[in-house]
Amino acid sequence: MNPKRLLSITRAGIMESLHFRLGIFVTLFANLIYLVLVYYLWKAIYDSSGTDVVNGMTFSDTMIYLILATALFNFLEMFVVWDMSRSIQSGKIVLDLLKPMRFRKYTFWSYTGNHVVQFVLTFIPTFIVVMIVTRGAIPLGLNLVWFLIATVLALIINYNIEMMVAPICLFTESTWGINIVKETIVLLLSGASIPLAFFPEKARMIVQYLPFRAVYDIPLSILLGKSGSDTWQGLVSLFGLQLIWLVVLTVCGNLFWNCAVKKVTVNGG
Amino acid sequence: MSDLSVNEAVVMRNVCKDFKVLNRHEGLKGSIRDLFSRDYNTVSAVKDVTLTVHKGEIIGYLGPNGAGKSTTIKMMTGVLEPTSGEILVNGKVPYKNRTENCENIGVVFGQRSQLWWSLPLIESFKLLRDLYMVPQKDYEAMIELYRSLVDIDPILHKPVRQMSLGQRTLSDILAAFLHNPPIVFLDEPTIGLDVSMKAKIRELILGLNKEKNTTVILTTHDMGDVDALCKRIVIIDKGTKIYDNDIEHLKNYFGSYRTLKLKLADDTWEEYLIDEKTTDVMDVIMEKQKEKKIKDVKILEISTEEVIKKIYEGSAK
Amino acid sequence: MRKRGLKFYAGMYRKILVQDLKSKMSYRADFIISTFGMIMTNLSGFVTFMILFHNFPEINGWDYHHMLFLYGFSLVALTPVQCFFDNNWNLRFMVQSGDFIKYCFRPVNVFFYFISEVFDVKGLGQLAFGIGTIVYAWIKIGIPVTPLVILKLLVFLLTASLFMIALMNFAAATCFWIKGSGYVMVIMFRFKDFAKYPSSIFEGIFKIIFTFIIPIAFIAYYPSLVILTPDNVPLLSWISPLYGLVFVYLSYKFWMLGVRKYDFTGS
Repeated sequence: MNPKRLLSITRAGIMESLHFRLGIFVTLFANLIYLVLVYYLWKAIYDSSGTDVVNGMTFSDTMIYLILATALFNFLEMFVVWDMSRSIQSGKIVLDLLKPMRFRKYTFWSYTGNHVVQFVLTFIPTFIVVMIVTRGAIPLGLNLVWFLIATVLALIINYNIEMMVAPICLFTESTWGINIVKETIVLLLSGASIPLAFFPEKARMIVQYLPFRAVYDIPLSILLGKSGSDTWQGLVSLFGLQLIWLVVLTVCGNLFWNCAVKKVTVNGG
Repeated sequence: MSDLSVNEAVVMRNVCKDFKVLNRHEGLKGSIRDLFSRDYNTVSAVKDVTLTVHKGEIIGYLGPNGAGKSTTIKMMTGVLEPTSGEILVNGKVPYKNRTENCENIGVVFGQRSQLWWSLPLIESFKLLRDLYMVPQKDYEAMIELYRSLVDIDPILHKPVRQMSLGQRTLSDILAAFLHNPPIVFLDEPTIGLDVSMKAKIRELILGLNKEKNTTVILTTHDMGDVDALCKRIVIIDKGTKIYDNDIEHLKNYFGSYRTLKLKLADDTWEEYLIDEKTTDVMDVIMEKQKEKKIKDVKILEISTEEVIKKIYEGSAK
Repeated sequence: MRKRGLKFYAGMYRKILVQDLKSKMSYRADFIISTFGMIMTNLSGFVTFMILFHNFPEINGWDYHHMLFLYGFSLVALTPVQCFFDNNWNLRFMVQSGDFIKYCFRPVNVFFYFISEVFDVKGLGQLAFGIGTIVYAWIKIGIPVTPLVILKLLVFLLTASLFMIALMNFAAATCFWIKGSGYVMVIMFRFKDFAKYPSSIFEGIFKIIFTFIIPIAFIAYYPSLVILTPDNVPLLSWISPLYGLVFVYLSYKFWMLGVRKYDFTGS
């Protein structure tokens, strides 16, 4: 694949996202309000618990974790499934499949443009606000680099999960249903709604090895220096887990998608 | 307004419509700049249009893409408010009485079906009957009329989503006439249809117009529709009305043109576009005969399509 | 001119609803999966709630059972918006594609016509879940069961439901002005997750914002106090029905303003 070509798709994706200018400001504003809500809720929870550290998480740890998980969620959110079901209804899918590039690749790189915009315009401002509110509770060092790498890996894993889910929607004609099931599972088991550290011991043991964790929990743990990511061994094992899931999901996603395309071309004509 | 205008189907007087559009810049840098830009342009979609449509008329409302046709229709249906000027539809201002106006119009808009997608057509009809509060007697009479004009029974119990494009368009047109509105707006009713379906739909429109004396305002790019249905046409380009007269006059718009075709000795045809006001066709034939042998002669009327094309091109200059 | 009164609209709503249900039945797989999805979201919310209480025994002086009551209350109060106003989620796609214009050609109120088109059956699962939670918490707390208390419960559940309806109307209508405003709805919908906590957690300026401007405090907290602390009901609880009606009215006006201001380009 010609890197210049990929870059130009990404560039088009960036320009397209920038067109929704008011939307971007509103998103940023809404994120800040959400941040305030999370702040007050957890402040009250920690205040009434009487201790400063619960399951190894301090108040600012929890808050940073949850807010950045939300920011990551927005940043990772893809509407592959929705776009695809609409393009099938309108018959546009045939055009998409005809583009001189494999569909999966094309979609991925055009979403990358959107990701870049979201990262710069929503994640970074949120990050800065969190830094100010918690008075620099996020350690700034090599962990930022590891965090970025882990985020990119998370992005690819997330994309593969999306691409596995999308064909199921097409078969069942149930975009909303499948999507909500996926979202619920990912949000709960990845630690985006409540940090995995708070899960009961047994549940945590299971959740730890599932791919969902690789999407939110691992990048955030690395950023905060938790889950043993402050040691080399810990870091390697976290990245190892991400890489294993990345390979597994990419291979499965590929197989699954190829089967699905055949089905779509048969049905959609 | 004069009292007379109340009796017309549609009266538009000096109607203008402006839109504010953000000036977009090119390239990635331009996109980033647009994020903060306040650089708006005012675009006039409709400029000073004055128009009267009489009751029972079928008029063709034509114009190239982006000429302002849709905007005009949206103003007549009460969806958009004109920036300035007056509009009366059935004697009322559509924008101020949108609900009331909707009782008295029927709309088929582009290829967008307004029917309930997964319901059989008859269920959609029943819902429309209730929405428009059509008395059962009138409703049944209308269905009977439909039955006499087209073969509706095969589609009546079919869900709209399973219909072919032709059947869907047909259904949409029938739905638009169901509450017997004095005016019906048809936007590209025959787009994408095959020849026989086109003919069927034109026949249906003519039939309904004749039976119910419905005023029909038709926008289309298909001159076949215009030839088959309209006595009068209005052409708009870049928001300005450039033609408003009978279809017969149209052919004299640039003088009275005819196409002269001459078959020569080697069986090839030569074509000449002749303005009969300045040149005599016989003179041309005589003149040519002196040069070469002519085996056959044909004189053709200029087609509507060609005139319209010339008008669009002329106004583009 | 024939009048279209309340009776017409009620009859029309029923007819459209019946037709909508009929057409839903033709997508059986979707119906089953969506219902399953709805149950999953409710379960997931419940699991999150349990995990939270597994770690923290009380929040701001509220114990487990009182919190559970508030949780159930919020679920029931969120059912009407889910069941009756679900089409708001489709608004921005309709507006973007230009299909929205079809709602403007009918001689009925545009908002009514648009909203009536979808009735979301899945919301009923949430209702059942919420009622179950309320009943359980009710028994555990030991609130007396009298006709008056039941009546109060119903009135204030209805009141509470008004606020989310209004919020979602506001959020959906932003698409008339803002391209790519889908996220506003998503985040507004997520705000509801905070309704199940006592709003005494907010302080200062944010207390005012989350009470009056983005009235999360009214989605469950204030209305539920009428039942939970009958001896000590704050004034805000009593005025909540009135405020709810005003809020819904404003959101409706905002929605309709959007329709009027929108220029319906792109077709």
